Amino acid sequence: MQSTQTDTIIQIGHISKRYRSVVALDDISLEIPRGAIYGLIGPNGAGKTTLLRILAALIAPSSGHVWFEGKDVSHVPSLIQRKIGYMPDIFGIYPDITTEEYLQFYAGIHGISGRQRAHIVSDLLELVDLTAYRKTLVETLSRGMQQRLCLARALVHDPDLILLDEPAAGLDPRTRVELRELIHTLHTMGKTVVISSHVLLELAEMCTNIAVIQGGRLVLSGDIETLSQHFQTNRQIAMRLLEPDKILVTLELLRSLPDILSADVAEDEMIYTEFSGDDQALHHLLRTLIAHELPIISFAPRSIGGRLEEAFLRLTEGNSQP
Amino acid sequence: MTFISLLVKELRVCMRRERTMWVVIGYVLLMGLVGWFFISRSTLSLSYAGNGLSDTGVVLYTLLVQGQLFLMVFITPALTAATMNGEKEQQTYDMLLCSRLSSFSLVAAKLVAGLLNALLLIAAAIPLFSLVFFFGGISSIQFLRGMLVFIVTALTIGSFGLFCSTIFHRPGISLSVTYMVSMIWVFLPLISLSILNSTSDANSPSLLASSTLPGWLQFSGLVTSGAGQGSLVPQTQIMLMWNPIVALFNTYGSGLALAPYVIRNISFAPWLAYLLLCLLASVIFFLLSMFMAKPNPWGRLPLPRRKQPIPAPATV
Repeated sequence: MQSTQTDTIIQIGHISKRYRSVVALDDISLEIPRGAIYGLIGPNGAGKTTLLRILAALIAPSSGHVWFEGKDVSHVPSLIQRKIGYMPDIFGIYPDITTEEYLQFYAGIHGISGRQRAHIVSDLLELVDLTAYRKTLVETLSRGMQQRLCLARALVHDPDLILLDEPAAGLDPRTRVELRELIHTLHTMGKTVVISSHVLLELAEMCTNIAVIQGGRLVLSGDIETLSQHFQTNRQIAMRLLEPDKILVTLELLRSLPDILSADVAEDEMIYTEFSGDDQALHHLLRTLIAHELPIISFAPRSIGGRLEEAFLRLTEGNSQP
Repeated sequence: MTFISLLVKELRVCMRRERTMWVVIGYVLLMGLVGWFFISRSTLSLSYAGNGLSDTGVVLYTLLVQGQLFLMVFITPALTAATMNGEKEQQTYDMLLCSRLSSFSLVAAKLVAGLLNALLLIAAAIPLFSLVFFFGGISSIQFLRGMLVFIVTALTIGSFGLFCSTIFHRPGISLSVTYMVSMIWVFLPLISLSILNSTSDANSPSLLASSTLPGWLQFSGLVTSGAGQGSLVPQTQIMLMWNPIVALFNTYGSGLALAPYVIRNISFAPWLAYLLLCLLASVIFFLLSMFMAKPNPWGRLPLPRRKQPIPAPATV
């Protein structure tokens, strides 16, 4: 586990959750830095929702502890719930009430007085771009609008920590982008956001930190830059020579160089090389090839697949530790 | 404040449902039909001499309170028995738990909202009871006593329904259980007593009542026809102490005349004893609902902690 920020809002210490014989979470330890957008990634049934529900003090872990700002969540659940905003993966809406009444109700049960309530509701509707729908019945809103409204509901009491369980599930691409922008806005407001998803790309674009959960176990965690470097995947270099009779010499040279995993020629006389080095090593390779006066007319390196996505797929195939 | 917010939301959602309007209309129509049917039949034989008019008033009142009680037993469970598990079913419960709502506010708001709906029905039927005052025979105090019995009966059924909705996951099951228990509560003592009476000595009266009591009650053998006071065997009276029908008929003088309950030289009229018993039962169901409503009720009550919290380890 890596932590680059010393100000930690949530600490998770060896928590496990069992439902009879089913182990939903198994010895998970994490630290969530204050102000981070923390992504929980894992396939369906990995235990992300269970972990979020434990963080929200809705269920107690079978063993282990969760500390929110240094306080044990199991001992002060009501205090914790006042400081977090939780948006479940599947949320219901009350029929026959308007968007404004919906937010006013939640502001009310968060103890916000009547005078402040109207002001807060207006601000939130503006934040989630639903001001024009303030008198619209909640049940008639589109899925994306309901999702944004539910996010506004989670923010109604100005929480320090926002837990979002699969917020982009079932949304169209445009609404996903809007939601991502909204989460970025929250990040700039200094909020800590914990967001779960089974789509890595969705999280990789917006998260500062990521934890990968597989089968209830923590497979990997850390800040996104470190992980990206750690899981930089190989590159494939496609080369074409002006003189085909130099192909064999080129292949021999390539195979003798460091960071070259394989070098083969295709039927169209294109040379394909799998390269594991970094950008500096790639530059060095190109200079070496030129130094040997090989008649290269085309040199095209490309990453093989997404970096983190490849790593995630590899990690979640089994329970292998990085 | 949290209580008021939840209560307002509950009432708002309920009052905007079309179903609520139809229930009130149906309720008033049914009650009105009972009154209209009785008056249309009795006007031919109505005697204006002696106690004829007041007797008619008492019979009409008896008929209306019976109708109201039966309707309430059918409607009140539907108002509360699916509230808590209904929130779980429509995926809104977690959002309530992640708020400042205390167990008390959560349960109280749900109960009061259900009760206010029941009160709306009672209030909507009050104009029909004005027919009784046209004939006489029932005083305002007796009428208010009757209303009190209705309210407390609704409270008891409501709090039991709420309790069921906290312990059963599926609203259908909690509704069925509440209906079943309400039926048993209201009708079982009378049915079992009627069976007992039919097998016992016919010369030993169990209850004494006026001829204004409903025919089915007299027919069951529970009561003997005719005027005058009588006594109950103690077991029978205890069995009927918590029955709403008996309590209701005991609220007016010409209904059921039962001996008062005496506890440490303090005597309670049977209808008053019923009210106290129901209030006690309601408080018990309310407290149990409070306990069951939130996932960690002990964490929300100011009780001594079982173990000390473990301090967070130092961060990296």
